[in-house]
Order: sequence, then structure tokens, then C-alpha cells
Amino acid sequence: MKLDLANPAWQQTLPPARSLATDAPVAACAFSRDGNTVAFALGDGQVRQMPADIKAPIPDATPALHSGVVMALIGDPVGDGFVSGGDDGRVLRVALDGTATELLVQKGKWVEHLAAHRNGAVAAGVGRTMFAIKDGEVREFGPHQSTVAGLDFSKDGGRVACAHYDGITVWSIGQVVLPPRRFAWRGSHVALKWSTDGKFIATGTQENDIHVWRVAQATDMRMQGYPAKVKSLSWTADARFLYTSSQPVFTAWPFAGKGPEGKPPLQFGDEGAGLMTVVAAHPTAEFVAGGYDSGELQLGDIKTKRSVVLKMADSSAITCLAWAPDGFRLAVGNDRGDLLVIDLRR
Amino acid sequence: MANPQSSAQVPVTVLTGYLGAGKTTLLNRILSEQHGKKYAVIVNEFGELGVDNDLVVNADEEVFEMNNGCICCTVRGDLIRIIEGLMKRKDKFDGILVETTGLADPGPVAQTFFTDDDVKARTRLDAIVTVIDAKHFFGQLEQGSEAEQQVAFADVILLNKTDLVSADELKKVEDKIRGINRYAHIFRTQKSQIELDAILDKGAFDLGRILEFEPDFLHSGHDHNHGDEVASLSISADRPVDPDKFQKWMGALLQIKGPDIFRSKGILAIDGAPRRYVYQGVHMMMDSDWGSPWKDGEARSSKLVFIGRNLDGDNLKRGFEDCLK
Repeated sequence: MKLDLANPAWQQTLPPARSLATDAPVAACAFSRDGNTVAFALGDGQVRQMPADIKAPIPDATPALHSGVVMALIGDPVGDGFVSGGDDGRVLRVALDGTATELLVQKGKWVEHLAAHRNGAVAAGVGRTMFAIKDGEVREFGPHQSTVAGLDFSKDGGRVACAHYDGITVWSIGQVVLPPRRFAWRGSHVALKWSTDGKFIATGTQENDIHVWRVAQATDMRMQGYPAKVKSLSWTADARFLYTSSQPVFTAWPFAGKGPEGKPPLQFGDEGAGLMTVVAAHPTAEFVAGGYDSGELQLGDIKTKRSVVLKMADSSAITCLAWAPDGFRLAVGNDRGDLLVIDLRR
Repeated sequence: MANPQSSAQVPVTVLTGYLGAGKTTLLNRILSEQHGKKYAVIVNEFGELGVDNDLVVNADEEVFEMNNGCICCTVRGDLIRIIEGLMKRKDKFDGILVETTGLADPGPVAQTFFTDDDVKARTRLDAIVTVIDAKHFFGQLEQGSEAEQQVAFADVILLNKTDLVSADELKKVEDKIRGINRYAHIFRTQKSQIELDAILDKGAFDLGRILEFEPDFLHSGHDHNHGDEVASLSISADRPVDPDKFQKWMGALLQIKGPDIFRSKGILAIDGAPRRYVYQGVHMMMDSDWGSPWKDGEARSSKLVFIGRNLDGDNLKRGFEDCLK
């Protein structure tokens, strides 16, 4: 595939895009499994869907599905719709027509984290507990010592890792019941991503560093020097790099070969956009997208170290990014309620 | 003003007090009165509040110890998460109220507002309000350190249930409170009846309003040595402060004595500076900034206040005097 990162026109005008202004902060965005639909999780309870094709008309808003904030949103692993979680304690399967069916309800709790695996399983972090939902069956894992602050599936879908205070817990969610594995590191872990090759689990901590465990060996490493807590982590498709937010430029730790110990991260890109709030590695190629607290958006290519800051109209802090499965489109949401889909085909 | 952003930040009021002191009564009053304001309330137990028009969030008081080796650097991670979640709502709030459990140490909740950048950007700690049961206060002091700590941390104290004690008993309770914390505003109440203006949006943690909030702040206090008991003391000076020496001294002091010092604040006349230098600390965590300018001809005096355990007044005084020009 080709993304024209050297295209000088992008510094003057945004690539072909479609935007919609709402008045509720966007907590998350996602593409459907087939890539045909994109959805945004809004702070007024709506899951706002629209065709991924930026030339197709935007359908009317559908009624709010959650009573408060839609806190988490993913593509449905068993359909072409979405799965959402809200601060009303509900996990919903959302169809393309905007109707929803309830997968889980935990009254008085917030559903803050969702992850899915292509085998059809969904994991939900609800308070101190992780729920694994598959084929209509809901199973409960926990409680952990504190609220689950991030979760992710292993590559094979058989395990789920949960971040909490003083470390992470890895649960086997298959039919064979195995004891959970604990990986300890003191402090509050606030984000978690399992590497795309299954070998590493990375967390961001409240104290401005990241922590990475080698799952098989149970050894760990710590990377410091961030000016803010790292809330966004993204592994490249080939698992060679881990991108981290909370720096002015793209920051990628190298995990090929002997790993990142004793090496500085690769850093590239324009420093002028502010502090990166969200980072999303491209699903197939060596590109990356970064959203900033200033509302700017930067695209980069780790091979050439080239990057471009896209010319955004008046914006506000980027809160979420999502690549379409084919990597040609990028969805962007910000804390003011702007919903954007950018078409990056040459 | 020290912080130009403060008007955009949602004020957070922390409500502490022993079980049965009247916190829930106060919260119910705040939420049911016609004041035209919208509050989010973070509580520990659902169901006690009988309101449905405001947002009530359940919290588990999840405290974590920071990884920096400091035993008093404890933070409410759940509060960081909940505030981030509240800020994602389309509907905004005029204020957030955080109720702590009866046995909670107010330290972690206060320190949360010194720790997290996102929380600092969107909210500001306004004041710690402690509700005290006049009838049971002395008994609660004997049961553990919590009741004493809750008084030590307070900016505002509601001395509640005054109708259940004699004037004599009430005076004893008030004297005891003053012995612990001379700098809090005390309001005598029955059934938690209080004008909300007296406790909400006070700016007690606003560096620019330290003077405004505490009228007695610049009156010199005498030093007490209370041994193990929690006490408060102030130190003043008329000679200008050397900022480098002060930084070093205060840094070392909080490093060693941080666990014992619950609250500290100060207004400093820095040598040659046209404005006041103000700071505010909870245990080892501290914020500081330039405050309002000195007026022409105004006496430039400095003042420090400490509330804590094992405070050695003479030693603190000597340490501060070494920082003067």
C-alpha cells in the first residue's frame, strides 16, 4: 500500500476527509470488522455510526444507548457492528441500525475497557473484575486488587492480561482452568497492550514511565523519561516496535533481536505539535499516526523517518485514533466532539 | 492571580469526618437545596443518598503507594480515573464533592490533586471540609489517629450536633480542635445546617487566595510542643528570604519530616521580588507560585504555617531564620 507522507499539499490542506461536529467529548472510535463502518463513542451516551466511505451520506443520529458516557468501543468480533461499554455499567452489542442488545450489566459500575479477539471473545474491565464474553457465555475473572485500568488479549486469544495497582494479572480464559499469573511492579499501571507477536506485555504507569514484561521468561524492563503518564501504547503489526504517547515526537522502542535494553528509543517527527496524547501504529505497513493535546495530527513512516503534520482546522485535544483494517482510512475524535474520517489513499 | 486557569477548573470539595458525624446529612442538603448548581458526588456507599438529580459515583478508595520510595506519597488512583471519566461527559459540573469513609486518612485524596497532570488541568482542590460530632469527638480521638488527622487536614470544620452537648462541653471540644489546627474555620452547626457559601468554592488550596481564606494567617502564633500530638504552629520573619536557601531547607525538611507534616503553607517575601511567593503542601508534595504584588510601603513579612505531629518549633524557627538575608 502507499501513503503519500511526502505529499506537501497535506501541510496546506487536509487530505480528503469527512467531519461531523457534535457537542460531546469523544472517548473512543473504532472501525467495524469489515471496515465498512466507523463509530464514535460520545459523552452523551450515543454510539455515532457512519459509513467509512467519506463520500457516502452521514445517517441521522440514533438515540443514546448508554445513560451517561460511552467509555469504550470496539468492532464486534463476530459481526459487522460494534461493542460498547458505558458508565451505566452495561456492555452492548450495537447493530448497524443503531439498535443494541445487552451482553452484560453491572449496576453502579463503569465499563471502562473493552478488547476483542478475532476468535469472537470480548473482554470487559468493570471495576475490579474482568469479564470474558464468548458465544453468549459470560465468565468472571478477579477481583483484582484495584480497578482494571487496561486489558488486552494474547495473540492466540486464550489469555487476557489486566493492568491494576502493583502489576498485571494474566488469566487463561479457555475451558481448561489455570491459575492466573501475576507480574509485579509497584505503582499504578494505567494502560496495557500485549504485543502483536504475543511475547511482551507493555504497561504505562501513573509515574511517567512504561514497563514491559517478557511473558515466557517473566523478566521485565522499565523505560523512563516521559514528561507525563503514558496512556497510549501501540505495537507495530510486525511487533518490532512499541510506540508510546506522551512525547512531542513519535517514540518507538525496538523489540526486534535482543530487545530495547540499553538502547534509546527511535524518535522522529515534527516537535512543534505539542504533547502526543494518542498513538496508533498502522495495521499493515510501517506507518504511524499520532494525535496531540493541541488538536494536531501527525503521520509518520518509521523506515524513512519522514512525517507530516496534517493541516487541521481549529481543533482540540485528540482523544482517540483508529485505523481501518485495510489501513487506508483513519478515524479521529477529540475532546470537543469533532468526528473525523480521513481517506489517505494516494 | 496565581493561576489564570482556575476559573475553568472544576472545584473539588473533600468531605471527611467520622462515621455518624453528619457527612451524609450535609451531602443530602447540598444536593437537594435549590441553588441552581450541578454537582457530581463521589461516595463510598451507594444508597445512603436520597437524590437522583445529580450524578452520584461510587468509589472504592483505592490508594496506591508511589514508586518513589516515599511512604507518605500515597494517591487515590480511583479518583484520577473517576475525574477523567466525569470530564468525558457532555454535561459539565459546577463542582465535585468527594466523600471519604469515616476512617479515611485525608492525605491520599489531597495528594491526588498534587500528583496527576490531567486532574490538575481539569479540576482544582478547593477545600477539605471535616464534619465533627461534638458529642463523640473525644471518644473518637481515643479510638485511633483518624479523627485527629481529619481535623489536622481541615480547611473548614463543621462542629456538628452542638445541640447534644452543654456549652461547657462544646468549649472543650472547640479548644481541643484549636489545639490541633488553629487555622481552620470552625462553624458550629446542628443537623449539618450551614450556608453552602461557607463551605463550597472557598479556594483554600488556591495559592492566590491563601491570605484571603485565612484572616488570622498573618497574626503570629506561639509555638507549642505537643510531643506526639498533632499541633499547628506558625513562624514569621520581617527580613527577606533567600530563595535558594529556602528551597534547600524546605526540600530537606519535607524529605525527612514529610510523613509527620500534614499541611504546610507559606507566604514569602523573597529578596528583591516584587510579588509574594506562595506555597502549599500536603506531606512531601508541594505547589508554589508567585502571588499578588507587594504594595508600596507595605511591610514585607513572611509567614509559614505547619500542621503536623512532633513539630519542633524552635528547630523549625532556627531553620527558617537561616534562610533569611
